[in-house]
Amino acid sequence: MELNNNTSRVKVIASGIIPFAFVIIMMAYIFGPGSDLLDFGIPLPEITIEKIDFVDSEIQATVRNTGPIPVEVVMADVNDRIHPAAVEPDGFLERYEAALVRIPFEWNEAEPYIIGITVGDGTRFEKEIEAAAPALQPTLDLAVFFAIIGTYVGIIPVMIGLLWLPFIKKISKSKYHFFLALTAGLLLFLAFDSIEEAIEVSDESLAGSFNGSLLVATAVVLSFLGLYYSGEKLVQRANSSKLAKPVAIALMISIGIGLHNFGEGLAIGAAVGMGSIAFSTFLIVGFALHNTTEGIAIAAPMSRGKLMIGKLAAMGMIAGAPAIFGAWIGGFVYSPFTSVIFLAIGAGAIFQVIVVLMKWLREEGDRNLSSASVASGFAVGMLVMYLTSILV
Amino acid sequence: MILLVSITVGLSLIAVFPTISEAQSEQKTFVTHSGAVITTSGDVIDPLYTVSTVDFDPDEFLRNFEYGRVSTSETGQTIREYTIIAEDDKIQEISPGVFYNVWTFNGTVPGPTIRATEGDLLRIHFINNGSKEHTMHFHGIHPAGMDGVFEPVGGNGGQFVYEFEAGPVGVHPYHCHVMPLEEHIVHGLYGVFIVDPKEGRAPADEMVMVLNGLDTDFDTENNFYAANTIPFYYQHHPIQINTHELIRVYVVNMVEFDPINNLHLHGNLYKYYPTGTDVVPSFYTDMITLSQTERGIMEFEYEYPGKYLFHAHKVEFSEKGWVGIFLVQDNPNNSQELDYGT
Ligand SMILES: [Cu+2]
Repeated sequence: MELNNNTSRVKVIASGIIPFAFVIIMMAYIFGPGSDLLDFGIPLPEITIEKIDFVDSEIQATVRNTGPIPVEVVMADVNDRIHPAAVEPDGFLERYEAALVRIPFEWNEAEPYIIGITVGDGTRFEKEIEAAAPALQPTLDLAVFFAIIGTYVGIIPVMIGLLWLPFIKKISKSKYHFFLALTAGLLLFLAFDSIEEAIEVSDESLAGSFNGSLLVATAVVLSFLGLYYSGEKLVQRANSSKLAKPVAIALMISIGIGLHNFGEGLAIGAAVGMGSIAFSTFLIVGFALHNTTEGIAIAAPMSRGKLMIGKLAAMGMIAGAPAIFGAWIGGFVYSPFTSVIFLAIGAGAIFQVIVVLMKWLREEGDRNLSSASVASGFAVGMLVMYLTSILV
Repeated sequence: MILLVSITVGLSLIAVFPTISEAQSEQKTFVTHSGAVITTSGDVIDPLYTVSTVDFDPDEFLRNFEYGRVSTSETGQTIREYTIIAEDDKIQEISPGVFYNVWTFNGTVPGPTIRATEGDLLRIHFINNGSKEHTMHFHGIHPAGMDGVFEPVGGNGGQFVYEFEAGPVGVHPYHCHVMPLEEHIVHGLYGVFIVDPKEGRAPADEMVMVLNGLDTDFDTENNFYAANTIPFYYQHHPIQINTHELIRVYVVNMVEFDPINNLHLHGNLYKYYPTGTDVVPSFYTDMITLSQTERGIMEFEYEYPGKYLFHAHKVEFSEKGWVGIFLVQDNPNNSQELDYGT
């Protein structure tokens, strides 16, 4: 009997391993040494100039090897005129390795510049800056400034939105459903907005080898799945630990919105960092306005539980405060890769919140999500966001 | 909340500082062309000040003239025979760190400066060791069958003998004339052909400057410009000449893609002989503009010792390598034995 058991186990293991061995053999045949099946020609070097900083008497370019082979950075130019420069830590870049190219240059504020970097085979890569502006130095003053901006964009509007709570508490069930659906509509718009922004950043500053759109898609789906899974766990625990379900849902919404606001903070910080004052003002006003609706999103589920001022304020912080961290990172250590990732994570988080909201609506009675209040709520949410996006 | 912050900070640190972490302790200081001082622990990339390791020597090329293997015919005519081998597989470091596939006559860009006297019989044994068809097309006067246009010479050992009488007097280019022509020229298949008048020219410190450009990334725009191929070379290694000595420069413009090139001399003016076909100068100037394959002879003397720039006054070209320095030295003996070049 025992022997029998053992042999059957061996058989199971073998039947699992044998096809796997064939996979390895096949891969070795296709990619292995001496295989010329996939010889599509000479791999070309590629670098991406991710960031240009204008500091005192110097232009600094952050370059990354985003091609399939190692490259050497051998020359720098400003407006297609060769200039001596320093490369730190050194000019040899393995795949995905980054270096800082420091070009001594007396640049003029607000003038456009094209920075070129040439690699060992003579190929030149360039990045255009529309208007030179001094790079932000991470001073305490500036950190405080960003914190204040973040507070205005993130925390205060969300808190204002939370003031809708008493109103939502008093209305009928169908009106309540309307507001829940409205929340979902608002969020859906924000998710699309984040994705669009992420793809834009990846198109502008991320190398083709990162597969920008697919990177965004992957990050959105992964963050959705991760948050959905942990969100469900949170609800289960909330059920067992007597934390009211509305609170759990509102908490998830807060976290999702927090990630989104982090992305907004990044955008503001990066805009200030790039010196585009008009653009950053536009972002600050726009984000501040629509973030009041995020307060409604948190308040709507909470309105069916007990009124808990402390918890509500905490959620306002969770949703709003990340705007401050975002502004710091965006302003001081901006990297296109991080922005794309954070914006995509924010979008995934929002999709998760929407799914949870819809599940809740079904449990609350609208099984097919087809009532007039839900449909109109969704539509109004999207429309409101679209119109505000035009206005600001 | 704490989770959110730690995820945030962690992710951003990973993405922002993936590799800029290996600290190097050694600090270097370098002074740029414009006088800026920069201290770095990294590499200095500078076509001006980095010691050149290129395997084409512009100093050697500058004053090198090939007179060929000389014999005399039964009729008393001087015969000059040359062997020119074309290749198109050489990877050369044309500026520090920049490697480019040059196509060469006798291994260099430009090819050897072929020099003869008017009326000499030239016999050029051309061997094409490249992978593509190439020819030699001489500017000047010769029979149709010797023009290097309708007689493409196959690669991998194809041969042809160009035979014609040297003329007219002057400085002329020669280059490959196989389609696509621009590609063959830009890759480096050109050189200088000088025909001296029978009576000769006045003794002088003579040199050849081929103004050329290199399109290293094949976008039909030059990435580098130079006199004699290596950008910034004569700025880094000034050409040493003497005061009160006649300097004669044979200048040939081989720049493609850009409609013009030019040569501006500092602290002096030169007598200019367009194409070198006349023995009377046409201009006395410090600035000549040259179109494709336009060429001429410049003659000048420096009175005061010191450093003098010469460069394209199309400043873009000089800022991309076409700039050099004459280091003029007082030499009481007006000696020719001065050790030229370094
Ligand atoms: Cu050719």
